[in-house]
Amino acid sequence: MTRKTHLFVASALASAVAFGAQAQDNSVTVVLSEELEIVEPCSSTKSNVGRVLFQNISETVTEMDPKTGLEPRLAESWEDMGNGTWRFSLRQGVTFSDGTVMDAEDVAHSLVRMKSPDIACEIGAKFFGGIDITSNIIDAHTIDVTADPAQPILPMLMSTVTVTPQDAPLDSFVDHPIGTGPYTFDEYVRGQSITLSANPTYWGEQPTVQSATYVFRSDSAVRAAMVAAGEADIAPNIALQDAVNPAMDFSYPNSETVFLRIEHAQAPLNDRRVREALNLAVDREAFVGTILADGTLLATGITPPSTIGYDADLKPYAYDPDRARALLEEARADGVPVDTNITLIGRTNNFANVLETMEALLAMYQEIGFTMTLEMVEVAEWLERYAKPFPENRGPQLIEAQHDNANGDPVFSMYFKYHSEGQQSGLTDPKVDAMIAEATAATGDERAAKWSALFGYLHEESIADVMLFHMVGFSRVNERLDFAPSIRTNSELQLSQIKFK
Amino acid sequence: MLNFLGKRAVASAISLVGLVLLVFFLSRLTGDPTGLYLPLDASEEARNQFREIHGLNDPLIVQFFSYMADLIRFDFGDSIRRSEPAIDVVMRGFAWTLQLTFVTMSLVVVFAVIFGSLAAFNVGGVFDRIATFFSLIGASAPDFWIAIVAIVIFSVKLGWFPTSGTGTVWHWVMPVSVLFIRPFGLILQIVRGAMITALGSAYVKTARAKGIKNRPIIFVHALRNALLPVITVIGDQAAALLNGAVVIESIFGFPGVGKLMIDSILQRDFTVVMAAIMVTAMAIFVMNLLIDILYSILDPRIRY
Repeated sequence: MTRKTHLFVASALASAVAFGAQAQDNSVTVVLSEELEIVEPCSSTKSNVGRVLFQNISETVTEMDPKTGLEPRLAESWEDMGNGTWRFSLRQGVTFSDGTVMDAEDVAHSLVRMKSPDIACEIGAKFFGGIDITSNIIDAHTIDVTADPAQPILPMLMSTVTVTPQDAPLDSFVDHPIGTGPYTFDEYVRGQSITLSANPTYWGEQPTVQSATYVFRSDSAVRAAMVAAGEADIAPNIALQDAVNPAMDFSYPNSETVFLRIEHAQAPLNDRRVREALNLAVDREAFVGTILADGTLLATGITPPSTIGYDADLKPYAYDPDRARALLEEARADGVPVDTNITLIGRTNNFANVLETMEALLAMYQEIGFTMTLEMVEVAEWLERYAKPFPENRGPQLIEAQHDNANGDPVFSMYFKYHSEGQQSGLTDPKVDAMIAEATAATGDERAAKWSALFGYLHEESIADVMLFHMVGFSRVNERLDFAPSIRTNSELQLSQIKFK
Repeated sequence: MLNFLGKRAVASAISLVGLVLLVFFLSRLTGDPTGLYLPLDASEEARNQFREIHGLNDPLIVQFFSYMADLIRFDFGDSIRRSEPAIDVVMRGFAWTLQLTFVTMSLVVVFAVIFGSLAAFNVGGVFDRIATFFSLIGASAPDFWIAIVAIVIFSVKLGWFPTSGTGTVWHWVMPVSVLFIRPFGLILQIVRGAMITALGSAYVKTARAKGIKNRPIIFVHALRNALLPVITVIGDQAAALLNGAVVIESIFGFPGVGKLMIDSILQRDFTVVMAAIMVTAMAIFVMNLLIDILYSILDPRIRY
């Protein structure tokens, strides 16, 4: 062999060794479906950002656990001081990964920052829209937080607030997040990978996983193949058709609910009988295990069974085409324009097999006698039709939507979806507005009961929407890990919860 | 030649300005990006703040002149999605695309020219039939399917190559191989056709009569004359790759400009769309210029 050939072989062998030795014993590789556009803690409710930063780098004031409820995190306790003010006692001995001590100033700054008009923080816009938040520092580890209007669930809302150091800029996103979490943010090679490593000064127990690398692949089959080939350890969110290995693939309720939003103002959808017919015309069970995954649940409300106030006694509308036809005829006889063309709008790539689902729904509706056409649109166009202000001259529309609520409380959903002023609400019903206000203000068992009453009213009396399915997600996990994805995997992935077998 | 280069540069600049105008207004016609970046539940106040931050509240014509004023200073604006300069985002992706295009097209040209020439030398022979068969398959096979099958076989089953990503020489094998197939099939057919014509010409017969061996006849005399149409097709194929091999970039996790452009269009990240199109257009202008120069080198009758 020539010298050049020797060099080539040597470099190829070195590359092979590097490629083969990517998985060390105490490190994991996570393959995400898209690259993170930003690494900003105040936007970590975005699912892919959350899977990297949320509770790994940046911790929240409180923590919502769907199984056990609200838990302490950076705050050890909290109490209601009245008039919309809650007092949070912060954990002592917590430091940021840059060595500075975390105190009430940092929490106050984080609250200001998430509402800063100079940056569009997802958390501020999503959970604190229309709410004024002020804080009063009592001492280094005690802070009063006041919401106007008062928020009885303020401690729960604080489970979304990621705490950043007080020198985090108010007018720009950070590109190297500093947090108090069990991991430090090491490097982001744009377009390729992000690496985290265990934070040696973490206040809590040291995690088993000592480092993590996140890579990005948009194709589900490739993500699944990477875990199968041992190149990655976890692939959250793979497609149904790629989840074919029972030893590695997990299915779990992913907190997403699919439904058809009805705008009640438009005839013939303003007639209750027509809305009931729309519900009775759908053979929901036929979808499960065919177009949609086994384990998909039939929905009666917009939030998953893990939310408080979920009414397990409500029954999904059974498939009853004869009754649906009779209701339509009855409405027609009363002068309701039931032959008006209804546009069924689906969002492309909203979930696996969305097109097949929408085509099946269209066929079921046409079978009953509805005059209906299907339009599949991209997300931007879909948003223009789904959120207010609605387009003029739109005619009657049924809009397919998928709603995520992994936070455990319907308050994160109901105002926006059903209040007369709600950004995506198809309803104008003073009774619903009042029920939402009452449930939002209530606490404890009363709160759960009031949400239950609202779910019942929307499902059986108003027949607000066509509720369809609580969806199932799939993740592939390398067999060397002791980790089971859950409903939380939809929006976060706490590395400290991962163990090795 | 200098006169020609000057004229081409002016024409390219005019085309580029036209492109900027067209893309700026067409991309804005797709609508307001606010809804894509804020949560569905965001208040109108938050939406207005977002529009204000990104200058979307200004009339379109004001936005255009503001953009052009910045562009003159080579400021392409910041990416809405990534909060960093759009040109940095694009150049990072373009560097990968350029490498992928260069490696792939170099291999394609070498192999297509050799195999196409040999196939043309013995038309209807075993080699010609095999080359034609495989090149037709290559030119018509769907690359996304080949890519997925290659990953299953060579990564998951055999463990020979990494499934995707970048970092080692092995990471390049499958993406380059899959990208190679289609232009190789196409260019091989073009080379074969052009070489059949060239090998049947009078000057080749004369060369044979003079006792010149086959290898110089094929690769020196005939090939040079057959290369003009081949170069045109090579240019087309390279331009297509420079625009981004979207499918391959997506499947193999190559952070190139093609996928970036598609994502940016879907996300209405206008500054990145503009920067990506301008950078790609300039690269294609430069490549076309090089092809024109190559024409004149290969065929002395062509003078500018």
